[in-house]
Amino acid sequence: MATTHASPSVPPAVQVDGLVAEYDGRAVLDRVSMQAQQGEITVVLGESGCGKTTLLRHIVGLLTPKAGRVCINGQDFHAASEEERERILRDVGMSFQGGALFGSLTLEENVALPIIEHTQVDRDTATMLARMKLCVVGLEHAARLLPAEISGGMKKRAAVARALALDPGLLLFDELSAGLDPVTARELDELVLRLKEHLGVTIVIVTHELGSIQTIADRAVMLDAGKVLAAGSLEEVRQTDHPKIRAFFDRRPRARTLRGDLRDSLIVNGEQYGTGSG
Amino acid sequence: MEQDRAAIVHALRVSEQILSLVHEHTGRIEQLRPGARHCLDLGQVPRLNGLEAATLLRLVQHGRRRGVTVQFTGVRQQAHQAFIGLDLSLLDPPEPARGRLSLLESIGDHTLTAVATGRRLIEMIGELAYWLCLAPWRGKNIKWDRTHEQIVKIGVDGIPIVTFLSFLIGAVLALNAASQLRQFGAAIYIANLVAVSMTREMAPLITAIIVAGRSGSAITAELGTMVVSEEIDAMRTMALSPGRFLLLPRMLALLCAVPGLTMLSNVTGIFGGYWIGVLVLGLGSRNYLQQTGQALLMGDLVTGMIKSLVFAVLIGLVACYRGCYVHGGAEGVGTNTTASVVASIVLCILADAVFTTIFFYLA
Repeated sequence: MATTHASPSVPPAVQVDGLVAEYDGRAVLDRVSMQAQQGEITVVLGESGCGKTTLLRHIVGLLTPKAGRVCINGQDFHAASEEERERILRDVGMSFQGGALFGSLTLEENVALPIIEHTQVDRDTATMLARMKLCVVGLEHAARLLPAEISGGMKKRAAVARALALDPGLLLFDELSAGLDPVTARELDELVLRLKEHLGVTIVIVTHELGSIQTIADRAVMLDAGKVLAAGSLEEVRQTDHPKIRAFFDRRPRARTLRGDLRDSLIVNGEQYGTGSG
Repeated sequence: MEQDRAAIVHALRVSEQILSLVHEHTGRIEQLRPGARHCLDLGQVPRLNGLEAATLLRLVQHGRRRGVTVQFTGVRQQAHQAFIGLDLSLLDPPEPARGRLSLLESIGDHTLTAVATGRRLIEMIGELAYWLCLAPWRGKNIKWDRTHEQIVKIGVDGIPIVTFLSFLIGAVLALNAASQLRQFGAAIYIANLVAVSMTREMAPLITAIIVAGRSGSAITAELGTMVVSEEIDAMRTMALSPGRFLLLPRMLALLCAVPGLTMLSNVTGIFGGYWIGVLVLGLGSRNYLQQTGQALLMGDLVTGMIKSLVFAVLIGLVACYRGCYVHGGAEGVGTNTTASVVASIVLCILADAVFTTIFFYLA
């Protein structure tokens, strides 16, 4: 896999330092720090509910951190003025887990919307550009359909097309290939690789699809219960000697054991029941 | 198929074997002293379902309460699977739900909610004011195309229902007035009553109630659904402000549509009265119109228009606020939509009472 190494003078595309997030007083992210280098694909891994999506929502400014900071291309996003934030966001594309397409607009209108609003091009040109983006994700035949008329997988692809609308330098994907058939998932993985290799786009993907991770990731950040368990190149993370990381990459299910207060009450095959034997 | 069904039914039952085991050993445990150990051999039990495992755990719980350690021995591999995930605490009765808040707690809770609501409303008004007054000077124009769409939805599409209901209200007013005024030979004053009632009071209020029910609910439901499906978040990530693209067009549309519909309501309400007066009560058409013309005052029309503008703002703010702060998925959208309509109507009637009082004293 080709990896683009950023020069030391160029700041990371995304730098998160000591991010703390809370929902109703419950810590969701606990001093999370990570980087996404320019032109690389960084994958944020972890079990469901470990805080991956929350991290992504902080990066893109949908949530305000309790503590810590998020820098995009060296600029502190949450400390920036409204105009600066808008400028930063124009260079960021994001696709949500469920697509989050505008239900009242057709796919081409969905993709054309940011083009119309943020550029000087006329409506016809914007529609043409939108169709090109839809073509990139293989949805040119569905351009005139409404989101309610297409499948979940197509919605995800349309969301990717919309994220690509303004040719951003940073793409954020939340669970890009989750729930898709293997062929479509593979196509999206290849699209992600093409975007990186041909356009030098920096990509941050939240996922727990091992197949995708192994195909596309340059770097990985493993989260567990709101904390970073490991971060580095995919190989470094994979080699980390932590039982949860090992279990994740070996696809080992969590040991189903008895609750502590029952262990001394059950004797299986002549032995007192212990942890891990479930 | 029949076998599968039997297995399912069986899985929800406790076998006689387990019931007799539990019965027998409960008695034995009761006879033991604290600190003793009691073993129960499950070697003869090939497998257990969840309910049976829970029933057996009651023995462990029973023993612990008496200081007796209960152990199951000879548990077969298949049977022991039924215990996994179980916990003695699961056998405890669930904690009773928190009762009603005390008066003081309730006051505090409502105060905090009111403060938070007020703060968010002020933020929303500030955002709307920015996009209406400041942003156009910075090159970010009002989205007139979206405003036009909303005017059609709220105003044009609302014409039939407003026309129909206002006509009926005018007619009903005339009929009710007729029964009283005819006794004094003053039936012609029905025209005055209908004209003044419609322009000052009924038309703005009826229109506001129709718009709150028809369009306010639609605005809340639409925005709420967009919140739930992350469309609003998606807009923000595209550096598109929901205030500019969604809220302001709806507010402006309401400010255009509600006074327009109120004017229409005035006309059709008066026509309803005319229709009853002329065709049913036999008042002369010319007389009726003359009387209406004398009763209509510019001040009353202006009062009605001012009211309708205030009602439009109230309906818009409530609908947008309720839509933007939906929590809890589809149920939250439904709850907020209902709350939006109720709050809009209550606020409009309250505002109407305040206005009427003020105008009464000013007059």
